[in-house]
Amino acid sequence: MTLRINGVDHELLAPPWRTLLEVLREHLGLTGAKRSCQEGQCGTCTVLVDGKAINSCLYLAVEAQGKQIQTIEGIAQDGVLDQIQKSFVQKGGIQCGFCTPGFVLATKSLLNTNPDPSEDEIREAIVGHLCRCTGYVQIVEAIQDAASQMTREGGN
Amino acid sequence: MGYLRRLPRFEYLAPHSTAEVCAALAERGNEAQLLAGGTDLLLQMRRREISPRYVVGLKGVAELSGIRPRADGGLAIGSTTTMHSLLSSPVVREKYAVLAEAASGIGGPELRNVATVGGNLAGALPCADLPPALMTLGATVTLQSSSGERTLPVDELFPQFGTTVARPDEVLTTITLPSVPSFSGGAYLKFHDRQSMDMTTVGVSAFVTWDEGSQVFRDIKIALASSAPVPIRARKAEAILRGRAFAEDALDEAALVVCEEADPRTSWRATREFRFDLLKGLTKRAIRRAREQASHTIGDVS
Amino acid sequence: MHNLRNEYDVVGRPTPKKDGALKALGSAQYADDLSMPGMLYGKLLRNPHPHARIVRIDVSRAAALPGVRAVITGKDFPGVKYGNMPQTRDYLPLAVDTVRYIGEEVAAVAAVDEDTAEDALDLIEVEYEPLPAVFDPEEAMRPGAPLVHEKAAGNVSAELAFEFGEVDKAFSGAYYVREDRYETQPVKQGMLEPHACIGLWDSTGKISLWSCKMSPYVVWRQLAMGLGVDVGRVRVVQTVVGGGFSGGKQEAMPMDFCAVMLSKKTGRPVKIVHTMDEVLTIGHMRHPMTVWLRTATDKDGRILAQHCKLTANGGAYSSIGGFSMYLAGAMLNIPYRIPNIRYEAKRIYTNNGFCGALRGHTNTQICFARDSQLELIAADLGLDPIEIRHRNALQPGDVTANGFRIGTFAFDECIDRVVQLSGFRNKAGKLPKYRGIGFGCGSHISGARLMGHSASVAQIRVQEDGTIHLTTGSTDVGQGADTVLSMIAAEVLGVGVDDVRFALVDSDSTPVDPGTFGSRVTFFTGNAVKRAAEDARRQIAEIAAARMKVNPDDLVFRNREIINRYDDRQRMSLKEAVRWGAFQTGQMVISHGTYAAGDEKIDFRTGQGNLSPAYNPSACAVEVEVDPETWQVKVVGFWGADDSGFPLNPLAVKGQVIGATVMSFGHALYETLVRIDGQVMNPSFRDYKMPLATDVPKLAEFQHSNVITWEPEGPFGAKEAGQGAGTGVIAALANAIYDATGVRMTSLPMTPERIRSALKQMKEEQRAGTKIVAPAE
Repeated sequence: MTLRINGVDHELLAPPWRTLLEVLREHLGLTGAKRSCQEGQCGTCTVLVDGKAINSCLYLAVEAQGKQIQTIEGIAQDGVLDQIQKSFVQKGGIQCGFCTPGFVLATKSLLNTNPDPSEDEIREAIVGHLCRCTGYVQIVEAIQDAASQMTREGGN
Repeated sequence: MGYLRRLPRFEYLAPHSTAEVCAALAERGNEAQLLAGGTDLLLQMRRREISPRYVVGLKGVAELSGIRPRADGGLAIGSTTTMHSLLSSPVVREKYAVLAEAASGIGGPELRNVATVGGNLAGALPCADLPPALMTLGATVTLQSSSGERTLPVDELFPQFGTTVARPDEVLTTITLPSVPSFSGGAYLKFHDRQSMDMTTVGVSAFVTWDEGSQVFRDIKIALASSAPVPIRARKAEAILRGRAFAEDALDEAALVVCEEADPRTSWRATREFRFDLLKGLTKRAIRRAREQASHTIGDVS
Repeated sequence: MHNLRNEYDVVGRPTPKKDGALKALGSAQYADDLSMPGMLYGKLLRNPHPHARIVRIDVSRAAALPGVRAVITGKDFPGVKYGNMPQTRDYLPLAVDTVRYIGEEVAAVAAVDEDTAEDALDLIEVEYEPLPAVFDPEEAMRPGAPLVHEKAAGNVSAELAFEFGEVDKAFSGAYYVREDRYETQPVKQGMLEPHACIGLWDSTGKISLWSCKMSPYVVWRQLAMGLGVDVGRVRVVQTVVGGGFSGGKQEAMPMDFCAVMLSKKTGRPVKIVHTMDEVLTIGHMRHPMTVWLRTATDKDGRILAQHCKLTANGGAYSSIGGFSMYLAGAMLNIPYRIPNIRYEAKRIYTNNGFCGALRGHTNTQICFARDSQLELIAADLGLDPIEIRHRNALQPGDVTANGFRIGTFAFDECIDRVVQLSGFRNKAGKLPKYRGIGFGCGSHISGARLMGHSASVAQIRVQEDGTIHLTTGSTDVGQGADTVLSMIAAEVLGVGVDDVRFALVDSDSTPVDPGTFGSRVTFFTGNAVKRAAEDARRQIAEIAAARMKVNPDDLVFRNREIINRYDDRQRMSLKEAVRWGAFQTGQMVISHGTYAAGDEKIDFRTGQGNLSPAYNPSACAVEVEVDPETWQVKVVGFWGADDSGFPLNPLAVKGQVIGATVMSFGHALYETLVRIDGQVMNPSFRDYKMPLATDVPKLAEFQHSNVITWEPEGPFGAKEAGQGAGTGVIAALANAIYDATGVRMTSLPMTPERIRSALKQMKEEQRAGTKIVAPAE
């Protein structure tokens, strides 16, 4: 199968029963998406498929063909953190970091469609993500900061 | 022992049209499972509750997805339309808000980007949120196979716990919503411990058509989730309210009758008694809200 | 108090986490992200019986499956039991004769991929002889109950009794006495990263383990013990930890033993990763407890005496449970003055997953009971609930009945700050029906003087490019140890926090340390780091002073420079000084510092002794809305204040106190392991419900304030931040629910169904005119 990930085509051999998460981590070494609940309850496996956040643990790799897949590894440009990543770092939105890639991608998906979200809209956008460390306050603050920085810069 | 394992081995089929889906099912129906969103099926497979030899993926069948207005003023929803697409549709939000309300409580954004309307029906889980909402809207479903198609009300889709009437060679293609009478409105309420993500312990859908002239319930439909082995209509409760004025005692009566019609089980998630308690409160609240929605609808919304 | 922040260049300033960028990029390497050439994949076979004898294990079919490289059972290990305390070592790497809870590990396989490993588990045949099992501690204590461990009569795992003062006399003379019973539930750590490890037993006999351990040296010792080898042959390498909160990441687990043993059998590295349902099924959780508390006060509400009887459901093994029983009794002594205390605790074995430490470690349960009861006492005596807390608050300089010496302890200020922030006076008893506010207090220790190893040591090497290489044996588990310890070193040496490199722990190269638990790291390791940095500074000052021909005592380290405080034209960069020493004078800058909180001894049997060098008080108020028809509780406001000394990194302190608070929301309202006949019914995040972003108050109504003190014993005045904050929250929620609905919840979690039951019972009792007692559930 051929998967287009972060703008690059990858040709690989994998059985149809491999999830997108397994292929990313085990065939392509892209370990930013994490293996945790494997049930779509925690959000640590989140990747963007055609711009939409999905749980890669519940998505067959073979069905991701022909789509644009973006993982956390594709967010920074040439090692320079994107604004969302910067805000998470600056605002204390990262502790153990296991949930962070998922939250960053969920934020990206949110701000792409809603660049100036209310606090309630931010919370609704991240309900698919568990965080046991932060209690969510500094994560919400990070997302607000990212949104405001990005609107000031006039978009992405 | 119920641990989540890697997916079992299967052969994956990727049809591109409904006809190809039917052909695949005609050949392999008993050994095949349809994969729409996958958010339920893949978990069942991980738990080895289902280990199909063939998985027929529906994501590549474009004609099964989409929301199209009908000539009769109703709406046709393709079965692989995602919850997200449903929620993004202006016509669903305006005319069939109860369906949007039911869909909005299902999981979170990531799950809703993938989970489908058809999947929520075909899975036949008693806790599914869309069936009650669809029942109160008078929705029908179309099942297609190589030998033809049939359409039936959602009310008739669930003969018993965990199954639908769909044959192994049939695929659910469309969910059809009739046009909405004026002065109609609905509400779907589900009980949950946390504010989001929770599976439905008990859910109530109410759809009211209000007689503005005589100030009575012209029509009302009530349907329940997680209150019986299958999603059910509370027809006796509906009958009590039809033609009746809106009053607390009427709601109280209806709520009690809903409890008589419901048959919730006791599980470690919630006892039967608690589910009855919830049903009483949620039924009244749902009817109240549906009636409010109905009063605000001035004529047919385009 | 003058603004301490302005005295310092680094400490006291909000500082983003050093590894934040790495984590935001998705590049941080957690154990499951690692891969080694030739690596095999392991899986563990788990027993399905709550109690059984293992009659026979036949692995032949599994071993013959193509792709399987090794299968092991308990007999592949030397049979040495390991554990947390010498008297209670009862763990085996894999069960040999007996299994004592559903999910206990009995065999392990290594295969070329995970699918094959899973399939191989299906082929292992185990013949069990089921034995009678017992699940409830009361039943387990009765004569004739099945014994979980043959040698433990009455299924007693640990039994402790402390007595301080003259308890009976105090009770008999008291103006007012009240007793109540509280029940708490099993809760899990809930970290997002499941346990994961890679084991390697190489051809020289060296045994290495890469794993997400919070206390790598505990694992190092336990592995050596269970494998019957010297610690010198064992290497434990810490990977980035994806959350811990104690439990399995604090000790050696069967997966660790199996990974290295399977590696021995196959000659290849072996990775084992738990699925989340495994994590939620196995042991390692908070002790469910029944806390019976009898309190005597004078007419002004001053506590004269307390008698606490505690029964903990310890599950099938000891873990650290013996210490947990001590700790609960010890924590009774803070944050209030209790001159006479009697504490009796029993930890009981049952055929459930075993219990141990979890953030807050028994203090959470004790505070729930005590601060719920305090409100009832206040109500009975007609006293203001805030005033009663002030009246009983410990003060700096106090010595508690069991010998805790209280240093800084701004408890009164914490209480007042919360009253002010929350608007408590305008709300308590005055909010509309079904809306309520509740107050709760707690406290915690800043590290503990344990029997065995409690000392920390830090090593510093200053490199010729001016960077500081800091190694300790403490782990960052997300709490920010990497950053705060670096900040301490940076402050002393006059550099920036980015100039400090903080190492992950590797037992081959970092110093031995107890690890991360008990809120010890900032305090104990921080002090060690400060001492190491001060010694490094002294060494560099010597070099610079000789070079500049000044007195080393005249030198100031600031902005990466070394300056003569009397003539700032005399200066050189830190880097220059280090290079001068390395290249010219043969002086390499390398230092170490140790901290062990003095040599006070604690008598863990009698409970006497000053456990910690510092104590933290905590106060909070929480506002809830209870849905009148569904009894769902929504937390709509939270205001907390803690005395963590001088917060070295306010950004991290905020994250820790809010994290602890939200964890307590979960424990109070949603979380419990549902166990029926020893079977965990909800081993899934779907049904083990932890708070989500929509379950916490909005930002404007979720506030925390630091009450700043200066703890002389702590590094730059700091104390703990990360466990104390969660301890008062559960009582605050119980009190808020009472304010909202009139019903007293005395058992956890306070779910809608339980609130509904309690309300029903209350109405029935009111109708029948019977006395309102604590509901049975």
